[in-house]
Amino acid sequence: MNINVRILTKSVSQQYAFKRIVTFSTKPTQQAAVAAVPQQQEVTGPSVRKPIVPAHYRFVYPEFLPDPKIEWRNAIREKLERLDMLDRRRQIELPEFYVGSILAVTSSDPHAAGKTSRFVGICIHRERCGLRARFILRNVIDHQGIEVVYELYDPTIQKVEVLRLEKRLDDSLFYLRDALPEFSTFDENMEAEPLEEGAPVPINDIKVVLRPRPWLERWERQNLLGVANIEQYIKDKHRKSAEKVQKPWEKFDLMKQYRATIPEEEQKEIFAEVHTELHTLELQRKRNKRKRTFVKPKHLA
Amino acid sequence: MLRTVLSDLARLRLNGFVCSVTQVREKGHLNRPRLRNPYWFMRKQRSQTDDQVTGENRSFIKEVIHDTYGTPALIKGVQTYEQKQLIKTNEVPVSTEPWTPAVRRCGLIARKIGQYPLWLKNGERIRTTLLQVVDNHVIKYTPPEEYKPTQRPNVHNLNRYGCILVGAESTNPAQLTKEYCGIFRDSGVMPTKNLARFIVSPQAALAPGTPLNVGHFRVGEFVDVRGKTVYHGFQGVVKRHGFKGMPASHGVTKTHRRPGNIGGGGEKGRVWPGTKLPGHMGNRWRITKGLRIWRINTKYNVMWVQGSAVPGSTNGLVYIYDTILPLRKPQVAPPMPTLYEQPEDDAPDDIWYEQVHNFKDESITYKPE
Repeated sequence: MNINVRILTKSVSQQYAFKRIVTFSTKPTQQAAVAAVPQQQEVTGPSVRKPIVPAHYRFVYPEFLPDPKIEWRNAIREKLERLDMLDRRRQIELPEFYVGSILAVTSSDPHAAGKTSRFVGICIHRERCGLRARFILRNVIDHQGIEVVYELYDPTIQKVEVLRLEKRLDDSLFYLRDALPEFSTFDENMEAEPLEEGAPVPINDIKVVLRPRPWLERWERQNLLGVANIEQYIKDKHRKSAEKVQKPWEKFDLMKQYRATIPEEEQKEIFAEVHTELHTLELQRKRNKRKRTFVKPKHLA
Repeated sequence: MLRTVLSDLARLRLNGFVCSVTQVREKGHLNRPRLRNPYWFMRKQRSQTDDQVTGENRSFIKEVIHDTYGTPALIKGVQTYEQKQLIKTNEVPVSTEPWTPAVRRCGLIARKIGQYPLWLKNGERIRTTLLQVVDNHVIKYTPPEEYKPTQRPNVHNLNRYGCILVGAESTNPAQLTKEYCGIFRDSGVMPTKNLARFIVSPQAALAPGTPLNVGHFRVGEFVDVRGKTVYHGFQGVVKRHGFKGMPASHGVTKTHRRPGNIGGGGEKGRVWPGTKLPGHMGNRWRITKGLRIWRINTKYNVMWVQGSAVPGSTNGLVYIYDTILPLRKPQVAPPMPTLYEQPEDDAPDDIWYEQVHNFKDESITYKPE
């Protein structure tokens, strides 16, 4: 059993060796993270004493990793912040979601009728760490693009539902602002589409169609994967200037990567601290969900 | 004759001087880093020479330190030593004189450890800065009649006040000079890295060796926080004073980030004192006044104060005082002369101000009218 564990941990470590993960980016190790999930289940046998933190936690709970800027770090502040985050998570279910997932957020609103408001939209951006973690939802309502910034740990949020759990090809979807409105239009009364338990998060490889220029940003410079018709609207001069600002060497810049990320050892320490609590919360939610999900069939044959 | 003329001239000059009172900011203080220390400066760090101390002797020195000050321990999140020889906190001295708003209490030495938001019960988000009180001990109290400092602090009626010397963050005395360690000799406190003097009323005097904790202040009260602002070096007017600069093109040459005109001609044909010009930015002592304490954590000695404008960098030292703003002074007596913590297990770690939302509570909802 011991040998088995050692081999498994070695294979896991090989997968993650030299791959430091940019906070909120799920791109470079998608397959690895997905592959690691079933392996972890094997590892948790009776002979394993220490709970090994699942490798996908850094993607599910990215806000638990602090800001990597060294001048702003302090162990005690980070610890207090994590305790507060766990306290909040005991009160409300903050589910796993990614940029590209469709969410419905119910929050208290003193100005709304009934004092609550519900907004459905696609998550186009996720940023910041700790209690400041926030995300942007976008939808088109009455032909008007609407974006709402929600803070994940804001106590006025009453409920966060994931209607469709999926990822997109890019780390942020700000280009939806310049895309045709049908790409960011979602039904307000949309029903949740549950995924099978243990299934990997699907990647939606839809390519959005942009409107003609002028654009809000120079999308041609950003190497976007989820845009179909960027070539249609740019001229040679744009192409040239885009080439000029490219920095293809940055992916080899280990120091830059090191400064922009939390080292793997520290990530393990952080998640080892919060893992048991998060795991019990997860189990509790699952149990509650199973109780709730039994619905009497509407249509009888 | 000559004398009268001279005195007339002098009067003229004097009058002229009085008439043109100019606003002088910064009082001529230079804020660039000092190159050498003042003559009264006491060296703190011993020069670390590679003297021939054997490993055996080194361990002996360590043993002596542990015998005198206790073994290394993590107390309230700060790495320090168990100083068991000091005053026990449960032996509370009875304070004889009552508190009045005129009383000046001792302050604390803290580190700014970061900032994060809290929410009020009405759903409003507030930004807070976390200050951790780092292992503070009273080192010395000088009564008013003996307190005659060579460098007088700018305090009204200084002769009424005494002075408390507070140390923070105990450190290995083997790394410090003999004269610096001498400061701590009578108190029995382990030599500390940081010192601060606080001007206090005689009623608020503290015995040497008293530990100071965050309980010295209470939630909802206001404090002043003094710190040294982040040093930006020699900066131009755009960064230092927020000038707009000039356009990048349209015929502008060589004056994109320059101040432009700095004064008129004729009578006023000179650079007026206080003119905003390039210079050293930051690295100055600043006090932010009237910050409310929203929350206190007694386990780690941390307080959450209002706003993100506390001077200094993260992990930098700051000094916390009772506020001097007259309308924000406490209405009821704060712990006098300080709070002597009792070793109770059932007390909660976190103390929240009544307006702040506790993360352990349910989500905020609004009642329909």
